[in-house]
Amino acid sequence: MAATSRSWRLERRLSVTSGQAALARVGGVLVALVIGWLILAVTGRNAGSLLWKAIDGTFGERQGFDEMVLLLTPILMNALAVHIALRMKLWNIGSEGQFFMGAWAATGVGLYMGGPEWLVLTVMGIAAALAGAAWILVPALARAHWSVNEIITTLLLNFVAIQWVAWFSFDIWRDRAAAVVQSTPVVKARLPFFPGSETLYVGIFVPIAIAAVMFFLFRSTRWGYEVDMIGGNPRAAEFAGIRVTRRIVVVMLISGAIAGVSGMLHLAGPAQRLNSSISNNYGLSGFIVAALAGNSVIGVVAGAVFIAWLLHAGITLQADGFSVFIVAALYGLVLLGIAIGEAAARFRLVRASRQQERAVA
Amino acid sequence: MSGLVADILETALPASTGVALAASGEMLNERAGTLNLGQEGLMSLGAVAAFIVGTNTRNPFLALGVGLLVGAVAGIVFATAAVVIRANQVLAGLAIAVGGVGLANQIGNGRQGEQLLSRFEPVAIPGLSDIPIIGEALFDQDPIVYFTFYVLPVMLWFLLFRTRHGMNLRAVGENPAAADAVGVNVTGMRFTYATIGAALSGAGGAHLVLGYTQNWSIGVVSGAGWVSLAVVIFAAWRPFLVVLGSLLFGAMTSLGFVAQARQWNVPSYVLAMLPYLVTLALILLPAGLAAITRRGRASSAPAALAVPYYREDR
Repeated sequence: MAATSRSWRLERRLSVTSGQAALARVGGVLVALVIGWLILAVTGRNAGSLLWKAIDGTFGERQGFDEMVLLLTPILMNALAVHIALRMKLWNIGSEGQFFMGAWAATGVGLYMGGPEWLVLTVMGIAAALAGAAWILVPALARAHWSVNEIITTLLLNFVAIQWVAWFSFDIWRDRAAAVVQSTPVVKARLPFFPGSETLYVGIFVPIAIAAVMFFLFRSTRWGYEVDMIGGNPRAAEFAGIRVTRRIVVVMLISGAIAGVSGMLHLAGPAQRLNSSISNNYGLSGFIVAALAGNSVIGVVAGAVFIAWLLHAGITLQADGFSVFIVAALYGLVLLGIAIGEAAARFRLVRASRQQERAVA
Repeated sequence: MSGLVADILETALPASTGVALAASGEMLNERAGTLNLGQEGLMSLGAVAAFIVGTNTRNPFLALGVGLLVGAVAGIVFATAAVVIRANQVLAGLAIAVGGVGLANQIGNGRQGEQLLSRFEPVAIPGLSDIPIIGEALFDQDPIVYFTFYVLPVMLWFLLFRTRHGMNLRAVGENPAAADAVGVNVTGMRFTYATIGAALSGAGGAHLVLGYTQNWSIGVVSGAGWVSLAVVIFAAWRPFLVVLGSLLFGAMTSLGFVAQARQWNVPSYVLAMLPYLVTLALILLPAGLAAITRRGRASSAPAALAVPYYREDR
């Protein structure tokens, strides 16, 4: 009988197309979210109304939507920062620290520099980019020249950055006029509001512009092609005449600079005062987005909207038993889903007859 | 001066026991070729589990055991993804790190400020604790400190370098195909040690709460898991260097308290940065020295670390 002599088995694919990989990722994320949703339901939350409120609260009203896009600004910036390094298979998990150092540098400029507002804002942005790049310099050099694992070095510096910012905001630059406020004085230079909104700032245009530039870089330029080549096979790239060590340093510095500017955009937008709690897990969220997106800039933008929505729900739906901690736990599930989905994409299910199996064995 | 060293050491040991347990566990599973970047999450889960048990019972060993179990369960989740399904170990590990911290904070959030009933108390070792200067710091500690610093490294060293099983374990991390060829169960070995390693990390988080901070708050682990990963690299995957590296981290943490108690004129924020900066230096120094002197292998990491093993690829 044909039915008994044939069985399902897993077979490894020789190569995975980008379509299959994307499908596996999306599948992994969906499975993770369903599992998370089930866990929420089992732990006594009304998962159905939670999901509806999360959708309606963000996309059903202008205010909620603006708040979500406000979160999207730093998340997309951090995601792009992590993404550009990830094109080389390098993980910048220190974007949170670079974000803080960017905000710190922007605060310094904003507090002490006079002149027209546009000029102050420009200098704040430049200072933030430099501070973010400086914060990743040591991990970048150590990775490029000594092959020191960048995951741990960039991450350790997050803890240093937070103490650094705490030092300045609670002590050196502390607002002594307002005794209760544990932060610096208000930085006067502010970004304009987004046209027609009193929540959202024009800062959202910066990550959109950077995403457009990155899309072009990796699609149409030799520089982008070479970066992708190093990500694919650094030895082959070296043989092809690309100066790999130098390129690693440059890309990591760009990554740090983008994360730094995100700190400035947040400070000159909604935050206005520097303290050590101005980040709502933006670095972590950006990192999740980049991990989600793989090698696609469009994927980064789409993923950032999704994660910003999730984080917005985490912040606004606390009364319904949702929280930013649950969002972080969901991040973990989603990451695990991606990792497993990616591994699963390397296999396909085939029906093989016994004879074929024997031949293979 | 001698008083200063003793003061620093006295807090350094309990402050770094959690890191030392986690780093010892991670060293073990990395020796078998599995990289688990989830230490921060494993320690957070172990910490919150031990805290909850510790607020309800007066038995610190029970609380530690539950922390260990929770670590093992999270380790099984990781090992299923990373070893059985052969998912990308970096992604799977970061998933455990991120998800574990989130889950631990969610579970503990409502319980902040509850009083911990079970704590580890120091037990002086007669004779040894009377040694001048360092005796009290080294030999008047809680039992888990003794186990972590004086017993565990010897056990791990013996297992890894003096038994056939340990040789097989190292072979799985260096050359899984060769180990497979002589009949070692690569997947089984990796799965087992990924679980054991994670269990030790869970216990490390538990001791952090039960033997050091003696309460729980959001972010109580604050980087100890990441530090443990750095310590393994610094220690070049050697059991005695692992606890020594952890102790250095503990000494920097302890220095902060000593400086405040003695009213040194250093901002507390700078002191709080110190452990992380020193840890950073710990992993940069060996790599830098190796590069400058151009001696030896650039890295002593197990050759097959974080590389999934497919038998068909032999």
